[in-house]
Amino acid sequence: MAKDYAKATAVAGRPAAPSALRQFSVLLRKDLTQEFRTKEMLVSMVVYAVLVIIVLGVALSFAKPSQEYLEVCGGLLWVLIVFTSLLGLNKSFSREKENGCLEGLLLAPVDRGAIFLAKAVSNLIFILLVEVLAVPLFWFFFASFATPAETAWLSVVPLLVGSVGIAGVGTLLSTITVNTRGKDVMLALLFVPVVFPLLYACVSATTATLLGGEVFAATWTVSLVLAAGYDVIMILAAWVLYDFVVTA
Amino acid sequence: MDPILAEIYSTILPSAPYVIAAYALIWVALLVYVLMIMRGTKKATAQIALLEEEVQEKLGKDE
Amino acid sequence: MAKEKKPPVLPEAGQWPDKVAPVALVAGAVLTTIGFLLTFLWVPPVVGASVNGAALIGDSMVTQQLLLSQKIFYFHMPVALVSFIALVFAAYYGIRFLATRNARFDACSKVAMEISLLFIIMTMITGEMWTRFEWGVWWTWEPRLTTYLILMLIVIAYFILRNAVDEPERCSVYAAVVSIVALIDVPICFMITRLIPSSVHPVVLREGGMTADMGICLAVVLVGMLAVGFALYRARFGQVRLGQRVEALKDALEEN
Repeated sequence: MAKDYAKATAVAGRPAAPSALRQFSVLLRKDLTQEFRTKEMLVSMVVYAVLVIIVLGVALSFAKPSQEYLEVCGGLLWVLIVFTSLLGLNKSFSREKENGCLEGLLLAPVDRGAIFLAKAVSNLIFILLVEVLAVPLFWFFFASFATPAETAWLSVVPLLVGSVGIAGVGTLLSTITVNTRGKDVMLALLFVPVVFPLLYACVSATTATLLGGEVFAATWTVSLVLAAGYDVIMILAAWVLYDFVVTA
Repeated sequence: MDPILAEIYSTILPSAPYVIAAYALIWVALLVYVLMIMRGTKKATAQIALLEEEVQEKLGKDE
Repeated sequence: MAKEKKPPVLPEAGQWPDKVAPVALVAGAVLTTIGFLLTFLWVPPVVGASVNGAALIGDSMVTQQLLLSQKIFYFHMPVALVSFIALVFAAYYGIRFLATRNARFDACSKVAMEISLLFIIMTMITGEMWTRFEWGVWWTWEPRLTTYLILMLIVIAYFILRNAVDEPERCSVYAAVVSIVALIDVPICFMITRLIPSSVHPVVLREGGMTADMGICLAVVLVGMLAVGFALYRARFGQVRLGQRVEALKDALEEN
């Protein structure tokens, strides 16, 4: 099938358009190279994460260290992740806009789905990279409050599932808000309510891993299944709708 | 009054303000929206009057 | 493409729905009034906590407290349903817009979203009043409340977004996309907040099961509210279209 297409286009005197997979990998590599050259976004995200941790530290500075602290801890971790990813999502598209890169991309015969996937995956990679630094930092600062259950390491799973959803939905929404006035606030306004269900499920799963025992048995599976369901549905929707948004 | 009856009816009076407020506020919300529609219509009508004037002026110039 | 597709009929002020709208308005007013009267005069009050003993009221023995606060429910639930139906229409017209790129559908979508916001606000008000009395707090993270808060925030963000985009075409596309995302997001939100047991707050269950009386009363109010919503939608749509036509005339006049 692909060969026939290549032949047909070759006959017409044009080089065959690269496959969607190749377009995707080229776009993804472009994003990663661009970022790793300047590290502008990653650095600002990590610094921002540290600042959020400091604010959380102040907020907790009058709390007595106790096991009950574990009930809020998962939620606080997600506060950190949501705000840090918001910053990253805002940056990821404003850069494309400033360089006029997006217009160039749209002029080229690139599959819109490939643009979405490349952008979402690059956002996901950045969010995960920041999490790799920020989450241990979070434990470093707050470990003195309480010892989590043995299942705590499993909180990697909700972190992963949550990041996938945040990157997928965030890519769609940040493409919308990059063209609006007051885009930073606009992204937060759209992003937080839309991602709320995912956040709720992920906080529940994370808290379950920290508390372990009965709570873990009761909520872990259902929370993760729901979070994964949100991911699938919302990313499919974002993928379908992306074409309209990016060409508008 | 019979104490049992008093107990049976005990929540009615305290809840009355909330029930009344709920129903009243529904109507207030509907009313505000209707007023918004009316204001928009009024604006459009005023602009139509302006347009009419302008058209009259243009016609006068052409002649 | 053997056959030329018939161009879709564009919604416009003054078409057949506008002939139905005044009837709907009257029907809505009458039905909601009947519903209101039924609520307070006809449907027997719901009973709550037991009291120590029994008393004879009319010709029946009553052993539990009579609740007046539950009367809010007869308007609360229909209003909430109408707000969700309006949201479905907003998303439907959003899809029509994305398929046809005709600004008329965008106007429909926007007006439907406004109706949705209006009914969401009414839902929130009635819900708040009930919550405040029954649970003694203004706010609690109960699935229905949470879902409606999130829905309200998305719809408000929708209007802020519309105001923040300058190009009309782009504004319409973004608005359509957000309306579709909102429609997908809200049921998920309800499911997730409902299915995940919250360990911190007690799960609050509204007493299930409705008597036939309650169902009839609810149905009357629901039909009435739907009619009111439809009439408001047409009125607003006519007004928005009038404004658009005036603007178009203005532009045409300036060009000459």
